[in-house]
Amino acid sequence: MTTAYAEIPTILDAPEQRFPLDLGVRIPKIRDLLRNATHNQWNPATDIDWDALDPEDFTDEQRLGARYYWSRRAWGEYGAISESPSLQIRYCQGKFAPDMRLYFTIRSQEESRHAEVCFRMAERLGGYFEAPQQAAFQGAVATHGVRRAALDPEASLESTIAALVCAAEEIAFDVFRHLVEMTPNPVARQVCKLIMRDEVRHCAFGWHFINSRLPHMSPKEIEDMRQAVITMIEKVELNGYHSAWLAPVTPSTAIEMAHDRLTWEAGLGAIVEELEKPVFAASIARIRAQMKSAWGIDIPMFRHHKFATEI
Amino acid sequence: MTAISQNASTALLNEKRFPLGLSERIKSIRSLYEEAKVARWDPYRDVAWRGLDATGVDARTAEAARRFWSQRAWTEYTGLAETPALLVRFCLELDREADPKYFLTVRNTEEAWSIECFHRIAEAMGGYLCEPTDAAWKPVYNQHLYKVALDARNALDPYVAVHCALEDGLEYDLFRAFGEHASQPVIRSVLDKVTASKLRHAKFGWLYLETRAARMDHRAREAVASHVVAWVGNVLWQGYHVPSLSSAIDTTCDVEDRRLLAAAGLGAAPAAEEEAVVIDALARARRRLAELDIELPLVQHPRLGGV
Repeated sequence: MTTAYAEIPTILDAPEQRFPLDLGVRIPKIRDLLRNATHNQWNPATDIDWDALDPEDFTDEQRLGARYYWSRRAWGEYGAISESPSLQIRYCQGKFAPDMRLYFTIRSQEESRHAEVCFRMAERLGGYFEAPQQAAFQGAVATHGVRRAALDPEASLESTIAALVCAAEEIAFDVFRHLVEMTPNPVARQVCKLIMRDEVRHCAFGWHFINSRLPHMSPKEIEDMRQAVITMIEKVELNGYHSAWLAPVTPSTAIEMAHDRLTWEAGLGAIVEELEKPVFAASIARIRAQMKSAWGIDIPMFRHHKFATEI
Repeated sequence: MTAISQNASTALLNEKRFPLGLSERIKSIRSLYEEAKVARWDPYRDVAWRGLDATGVDARTAEAARRFWSQRAWTEYTGLAETPALLVRFCLELDREADPKYFLTVRNTEEAWSIECFHRIAEAMGGYLCEPTDAAWKPVYNQHLYKVALDARNALDPYVAVHCALEDGLEYDLFRAFGEHASQPVIRSVLDKVTASKLRHAKFGWLYLETRAARMDHRAREAVASHVVAWVGNVLWQGYHVPSLSSAIDTTCDVEDRRLLAAAGLGAAPAAEEEAVVIDALARARRRLAELDIELPLVQHPRLGGV
């Protein structure tokens, strides 16, 4: 059974031209990521001490909140299974460095591990939910448009990677690092730690790629990339894509924030507004400084009503 | 040149993500996914690469090895873009199970490892070749499967039947044959690892086809059969997997390469043996499809006749 489809111009429309097929090392740091990822594989089924997580240690309310929290995490990770593999098609079709084409295979596998481990957490706590409690929240966690951008022949890959990886994933990574530091439950902490270990490589991939492309980019292409980063921070991140408390206040976001607080109080892995706020601001500052020093671009300060000053 | 006809544009399904089922729905495929995770390996550390070089291999055989292992890399490379396309297609289809999605992410990694290994073997034998010497082979390799997999006008089940069940099944059979002619320890160990992954890939295709066949009507079964016939004629008979089956391109060199490598234990099977594997694989696939009420007719080959 299928839903409706759209016929739009995509990179798929051009015939495949496989040859010459370069398989050599062109971006050594990305090939190293492939080697490291291969060496550091883990298995959600066997590498987590699931028996150490006793659902009876928590109240019904906490379990319910945590089930929703970990289900939401699984939905988010699933986006990288459903959308990000399109980037790999782009790398192959556009004959980008072989290192990228090879590394991204294991990157997608890691994303499926993350979805699986979040699903298992929700199941262990009483059961995974297949959708948000309120349908209105579905839009907030459904897509960030990567598939469309990856397949769009007019969209620059550099802009997509800079915005998605070097901005959005970096913010998510900083929050995750904080989660690892402050989550008391050992099983939830172990899950966060293993995911974070993979995310280090995912973020590094973006910087290595842009660094390899920068000498070949025109001033206009660099400016387009800068604008893409600004749009990602302003319209996506500050609109609550990763953090419900940044989203416009609606009944559905209030419910999600309540789930986060219950999960955090139970020590099961979430973070709440007052703790995440400084982490988020520091993350934006770090990304701004890194983009300035590595790429020479200026990311402006941002305003959001939840922050007293510009961040 | 693929099993399924191609349109100029691409029709992309609109995703309806929720409800998002992640529970086990096809136990056999979930088990295969779990098995693949446990069987993970590391082509950079688990293969004793220092034991492989062209020392002691005569120049003709080393050249043959470069060509053969480069070909293997080109063939394997198909999956590098096809598997993510198939994975996205599964995600875009309404109500497809999570089990194949999980499995495909592992399959793609295994394809990348295989490419790395084949590339490295070709390099050790004197250097990987980035394209066929005879340009006539290029269109045979340009399968454009990633587009076929994603285009919503192509039904997904016949695609899985052709490319995941039959094609991956044939690859497994061929790699088993290669392994029987691999006395060189490094190549042997690579083939052991790759063949084990290819067995899982083939199992996946057949298990999924069996699951879907139970709910196929007569028309859907006919679609599977006609796609298989088209694939045999448009891909297999063009020499994509076994060059000597091509009747349009001079394959004298490919046949000789295989003879030399088989004699040297460098992991290729003689051309006649490759053809026998294909004939046997098709016969077994026909019987297996018949068990699913899918009738596969004989397909004519210019030299072999009805296969």
